[in-house]
Amino acid sequence: MWAYVIRRVLATIPVMAFVALFVFSLLYLAPGDPAAVIAGDQATPDDVERIRASLGLDRPYLVRFSEWVFRILQGDLGTSIFTNLPVGHMIQQRIEPTLSLMLVTLILAVSIAIPMGVVAAWKQGTWIDRAVMGFAVLGFSVPVFVVGYLLAYVFALELDWLPVQGYTPFREGLFPWLENLILPSIALGGVYIALIARITRATMLEVLQQDYVRTARAKGAGQRSILFVHALKNAAVPIVTVIGIGIALLIGGAVVTESVFAIPGLGRLTVDAILRRDYPVIQGVVLLFSFVYVLVNLAIDLLYTLFDPRIRY
Amino acid sequence: MPDGASVAIPPGLAIAQAMPDVLPPIRARRGLWGFLRRYPTIAIGGGLLLLMLLMAVFAPFLWTKDPTSLAPALRTREPGAQFWFGSDMLGRDVYSRVLYGARVSLLVGFSVAICASAIGLAIGLFAGFIRLADSIVMRVMDGMMSIPPILLAIALMALTRGSVQNVILAITIAEIPRVTRLVRGVVLSLREQPYVDAAVASGTGTLMIMWRHILPNTLAPLTVQATYICAAAMITEAILSFIGAGTPPIIPSWGNIMAEGRALWQVKPYIVFFPAIFLSVTVLAVNLLGDGLRDAIDPRLAKKL
Repeated sequence: MWAYVIRRVLATIPVMAFVALFVFSLLYLAPGDPAAVIAGDQATPDDVERIRASLGLDRPYLVRFSEWVFRILQGDLGTSIFTNLPVGHMIQQRIEPTLSLMLVTLILAVSIAIPMGVVAAWKQGTWIDRAVMGFAVLGFSVPVFVVGYLLAYVFALELDWLPVQGYTPFREGLFPWLENLILPSIALGGVYIALIARITRATMLEVLQQDYVRTARAKGAGQRSILFVHALKNAAVPIVTVIGIGIALLIGGAVVTESVFAIPGLGRLTVDAILRRDYPVIQGVVLLFSFVYVLVNLAIDLLYTLFDPRIRY
Repeated sequence: MPDGASVAIPPGLAIAQAMPDVLPPIRARRGLWGFLRRYPTIAIGGGLLLLMLLMAVFAPFLWTKDPTSLAPALRTREPGAQFWFGSDMLGRDVYSRVLYGARVSLLVGFSVAICASAIGLAIGLFAGFIRLADSIVMRVMDGMMSIPPILLAIALMALTRGSVQNVILAITIAEIPRVTRLVRGVVLSLREQPYVDAAVASGTGTLMIMWRHILPNTLAPLTVQATYICAAAMITEAILSFIGAGTPPIIPSWGNIMAEGRALWQVKPYIVFFPAIFLSVTVLAVNLLGDGLRDAIDPRLAKKL
């Protein structure tokens, strides 16, 4: 098993290296010459050339890449062109709302989607099953911001139950924090719920046909115990895999959700950075999100052995 | 069968000819209507999509005005007789803009679906058939897939100026890895099939095997995947335009209309509402079509995709 763990951890290195190369190339290929910007309007071509040399911008691609990777490993993500603040610092300031949003969405989605999928599989072919599958198609089809505006319009503007926009930090209390996150989480969770419910149903349908389910039924196990103990446990691996892969949807969706609900998080930072063409910030956010995504999926792969002792690599 | 013809048939074939009299004819193909009745999601999805397509093509004849003409005196009018879907803050007709917006969405959706499928198919066939290339290509694809697709498209759009072509290109690049992985998976499993072994044994060249035995078998799952890519691309295009990284604001795309209506949505929700409905219905239509095709082509795919 340890051989598998080591092999799996090592396999993420080329993936991360590719992400780093891509993100670095983004800044390398970005239009505009930083040396010319720093030199200003009055500078002669010689001045620009000197500044370029002093910044190391005249060196070859691979040399600059390795220097950049070295700085990243030291935790230096560069400096924002627009605010002149370190990118790492800007990300730090914005990370709490995004993490909160994704965490609440994750918990909400998993606790709604898995029972939905299980019940749909149990009642296969009935109107419950059709309703769940219909909801799944809708979830895939209605974009995050459409759900967001609809929810905000109904529950915040018309009914006035929840705040329309904004974010309250966690340290100001659990309830105000949660209150601001309910609508964004439902909006962001739509696709995610659809995805998890669908894979749960499909996997459960397969598992429910297995011999050990019949055995459990024969020995007199109750319906709930069969569904949630015998079957769901055996269906865990594909479901957990999809939960991990689906985090990409959460990351992409967070960018939009934060714009709709005016949440000052990393997504909002990304959108602002794009409008200002602030490449170091775009670079930092893409790098961070991608690494988080890779590491989460690595962790899930490693957790398989806990879920399913049959897996021995 | 006329009696005169049966005389000419040799005895061996006469038995086969008698078969239809023994077995009732199987009415497997009942024409297009039978097919659509059997797969109602294809009928509904395809019908809605066709409607949107016609609407986009014939937008100029559907009582629309110039979608870009400004009328500052008539801004933010509620939906009514003059402006069916109301007017935005520059006095432009939201109805006309939404109808013309269908062109951008459908163009991006179809273009990305076709381009990503074609490129992904080529790379997937290549990776699936050449062992040496496989590990390198798939590591690159893993790397690309580890960047969330919307973020990848955003990053690519940050490099270029906003135009419909660049949006198509950015979303295509973001979607290629998933197609490649699907095609490669199919190729790897097909390679183990006895008929491929038979083809190798009889001296068929690699290219011919790919063309004749592998490629046709990838087309079914690829078609289903292409519809899902089309749906995803339309949503991504709207998201990119909505956050200001997509098509230039001068082009009336659904994402752009919503982005412009954003500032006013609490007081004038209809500017956001109408493009949102059209976008959702169109994506729903494509998804229904995809689900129907999946069931019709291969029910076993229902789990994989």
